[in-house]
Amino acid sequence: MSSITFRGVTKRYGDVTAVSDLDLEIADNEFMVLLGPSGCGKTTALRMIAGLESITEGELSIGDRVVNNVEPQNRDIAMVFQSYALYPHMTVRRNIESPLRADRSKRLSKGDRDARVAEAAGILGLEDYLDRKPAALSGGQRQRVALGRAIVRRPQAFLMDEPLSNLDAKLRTQTRAELVQLHTDLATTFVYVTHDQVEAMTMATRVAIMNDGRLQQAGTPREVYEDPANLFVARFIGSPPMNTIDGQVVVAQDGTTGVVAGDQLIPSTNAPAGSAGRKVVAGIRPEHLVPHPDGTITGKVTGTEWLGHERQLLSHVPIGDSNSVQVISRADPDGDDPRPGEQMRFAVDPDRVHLFDADSGARMRRTDS
Amino acid sequence: MTAQLGSDVEGRTLASGRVKEAFLAYGFLLPSALVFAAFFFYPLGRLVWFSLNRQDRFGRGLTYEGFGQWGDVLSSTDFLDGLKHTLLFVLYTVPLGLVLGVLLAVAANRKIRGIKFFHTVFSSTIATSVAVASVVFVVLINPKVGYLADTWVAQFFDLSDPDAALRGVALSSVWQNLGLTFIIVLAGLQAVPEELMEAAKLDGYNSVQRFFRITLPLISPTLMFLVVVLVVFGFQAFAQVELLTNGTPAGRTETLVFKIFTDSQDPAKLGPSSVMALGLFVLTVVVSAFQFIILSRRVHYGN
Repeated sequence: MSSITFRGVTKRYGDVTAVSDLDLEIADNEFMVLLGPSGCGKTTALRMIAGLESITEGELSIGDRVVNNVEPQNRDIAMVFQSYALYPHMTVRRNIESPLRADRSKRLSKGDRDARVAEAAGILGLEDYLDRKPAALSGGQRQRVALGRAIVRRPQAFLMDEPLSNLDAKLRTQTRAELVQLHTDLATTFVYVTHDQVEAMTMATRVAIMNDGRLQQAGTPREVYEDPANLFVARFIGSPPMNTIDGQVVVAQDGTTGVVAGDQLIPSTNAPAGSAGRKVVAGIRPEHLVPHPDGTITGKVTGTEWLGHERQLLSHVPIGDSNSVQVISRADPDGDDPRPGEQMRFAVDPDRVHLFDADSGARMRRTDS
Repeated sequence: MTAQLGSDVEGRTLASGRVKEAFLAYGFLLPSALVFAAFFFYPLGRLVWFSLNRQDRFGRGLTYEGFGQWGDVLSSTDFLDGLKHTLLFVLYTVPLGLVLGVLLAVAANRKIRGIKFFHTVFSSTIATSVAVASVVFVVLINPKVGYLADTWVAQFFDLSDPDAALRGVALSSVWQNLGLTFIIVLAGLQAVPEELMEAAKLDGYNSVQRFFRITLPLISPTLMFLVVVLVVFGFQAFAQVELLTNGTPAGRTETLVFKIFTDSQDPAKLGPSSVMALGLFVLTVVVSAFQFIILSRRVHYGN
């Protein structure tokens, strides 16, 4: 159990900056998910914790110890690789036992090692497979062996690099729940890299969203969903994604604020004082854009997707100068599908229309006076 | 009724299809079968026939000697000396060649700028003819005019010293085969996944342990393949012997193939040299069979 702290950590390969000035504190016993599109630097960040990548600038600590120059094997961490990286010539037992055998000077007695392997195998349900070679296992079983090899070390932290990406969808869902359980049982810090937001939202205690080597936002799954720090986070989190409409802030005579895009008026209570006329992007989650006869947004339905528990409406909303933007709305699954081409009105909850600066993408917030 | 009819028709088409397919298969096999027959089975048959006969020294009058000639030749000092030289040659060349090849490949298997240059240099002997390589080698170790003259190296591998000459020829062969060994081992090393090495690093294995516990077992199929190839090369050593020593001094570098070739030039020895050739053939088959058994039983790590 240990915290992990990045202080101004930068990683450069020649001219390419993979991770830029990363500040992130991963608390003890946290399940931190590093989330982002491929090439965002999340894996590099994880590998720096493992010691598999050197640190160009800044300081990385595990617990109270700065580990910039500590060898990987002395960092007291365990890593599960995307490919599992099992030793193909060793049995499952030997694979799991491997970290306990490597260093002769710290080697436990045979009895202790066997007990640890048995314990890990018990947790993961691998007892019947201990004498098999990895090639004779299914993908899910191999993944467990990789976890077993991490568990036997009783490390300060578990590092996982997309460990579920090679499993089929059903197994992935099941393993997600098991990893959460494992985190609870082991009461240890987990750092988990993925590009899959569902994994991040379902497993993380906190999510750190990265893009272009920079940390965009770190927060609980709920925070990053409901309170995104910028346009990137807003668009990256959520499926179907948040609707974004370019417009300008307007202030009505009665003081209510909103965004105007062509003939559309999108009421929003989130405009900062004195921001009238500023170019912004209004962000509306599909579940907050609901068909309503008195709605202020009008669009033409282009398609519907009926999913059983909900209906997703795809519409084109004209925003002036013959431009239009496609929006997705989550609607009641009951009743008939609207006809394609049908005009529809949508209403929004003004409190939940997020505003982002059109140039920087930074979130704009209401300034309560 | 319809179903029965359907299956009957289907069965008939299947049967005629199978016959057609068989014809097609034999058609495809025919060209290579002809080539094999002309250049392998027929000569092999002739060889067996020669091995059972004897000619006079003018190449006239094939007289049948029978299997007794086999026993005579295979127990003769001529054959046994040749066999001894060949086995010694294999013993000198295979382990040393393998170790050097692995060392070079490990040294060159890293991601640094300009490593391709070393890959090219280390593998260059593969593109060097035996003749050129032998000349280069003589220039290197000739005890009088060589670059290494007056050193222990030149003496240890002195091609005119009966006790050292075979070592000299062997060293030259090791060097000539090094390019091939290097390339194959390097390919084997590059097939070992990077993540495996990283996992081993995290597990706490130091670089020496990583090599012996992870890398070596994983490239063992490659090494096994190389052992067989190098042993067969050793059995077949001829050109370097002829170029470097021509069997001298005192016949101490006369390997089996060399002996077979020189003897076969003498019509009177056609029979005995055919027996030796058969003996070498059997030996090579045994080694190849050994390779097949090992490769099929061990070392299939693929998923």
